[in-house]
Amino acid sequence: MRDRQGRGGSRLPRPFLALLLAAFAPTQAHAQERFVNIGNLADYDFGQITNLSADQLLARDLCVYSAKTTPGYSVRASGSGTGGAFTLAGGGSTLGYEVQWSALAGRTTGTILQPNVVLSGLRTSAIQQNCNNGPTASASLIVVLRATSLQTALSGTYSGTLTIIVGAE
Amino acid sequence: MVLGEYMFANRLARLVPVALLLATAAAGTAQAATQGSLGTTSTGSVLINASVAGRVQISGLTNVTFADVDAGSAVFNAQDVCVWSNTAGRKYKITASGDGSGNAFTLASGALTPVNYTVEWNKAAGQNSGAALATGVTLASQDSLATAPTCASGPTKSASLIVRMDAANLQNMQAGATYAGTLTLVVAPE
Repeated sequence: MRDRQGRGGSRLPRPFLALLLAAFAPTQAHAQERFVNIGNLADYDFGQITNLSADQLLARDLCVYSAKTTPGYSVRASGSGTGGAFTLAGGGSTLGYEVQWSALAGRTTGTILQPNVVLSGLRTSAIQQNCNNGPTASASLIVVLRATSLQTALSGTYSGTLTIIVGAE
Repeated sequence: MVLGEYMFANRLARLVPVALLLATAAAGTAQAATQGSLGTTSTGSVLINASVAGRVQISGLTNVTFADVDAGSAVFNAQDVCVWSNTAGRKYKITASGDGSGNAFTLASGALTPVNYTVEWNKAAGQNSGAALATGVTLASQDSLATAPTCASGPTKSASLIVRMDAANLQNMQAGATYAGTLTLVVAPE
């Protein structure tokens, strides 16, 4: 009796199996299509800044991948200052900075991001989640220390963390 | 490997990562960039480091003119200037020098005998007297209220420069002759 039940469990009618597959397969594909990834991020080290009369800028390429057929994404940034402010701490004061984003690699200018405010309508050229194939980078993250901020800050060493969150669109 | 060696190596293998973690935490090493992972959202972060050098600036200086003065009594000119410093406590030091012989504070008029003047510095604005400066000698431990390099915002002035001529030197000047000299002020972060 147990044997029959066991064999019977593995012998589902083929039409029923096909229905099961048809029911689950599109859902899984749909979920994967909403996946995004941000990678190839690197730290920003401005070193010692001696010219406080000029803006200081560091731009780095990174990889943003979207699995969607139309690979759209949004980006949101927050700093380690109060309320996510883009400020570095240290030196007895804070040092404000500006964050810009470009949906193209190799850029030194982009759209200015506000802390915790989503920038949407972006499109990526990456075809692999870590940019191992196709374009090696797909976006630019630019950090700017404005001269006005440099002149406001006291001398010393400053540090902070910038967090970037991308979402599928 | 004998059993004792194996146990020692095994314990060492477990302790080394812990020791490295503790050493990193003790050193206060900041975390480096983190990469995102594939998902409906993906989060990465970067560390931003910068070091701002100590800097100062002196500005708002104007020329000093003593015109048609009465040689019977001393004269002075006090002017407010802006000295900005970005060091902790906004501290600075100042050194003055003239363009006379040996950088003396003197005014010259061709072949006529140069006459002396004196210089005083006050770290506060709006003052008519201050610490006497000797040429080439640094006056240290000054601090400023200025928050912008040229006092464009915050206090509009932060220090006082006072130039004096006493009656004796005025009486050594030839009437009708024009005397001139350059006073140079150097400020440095402290």
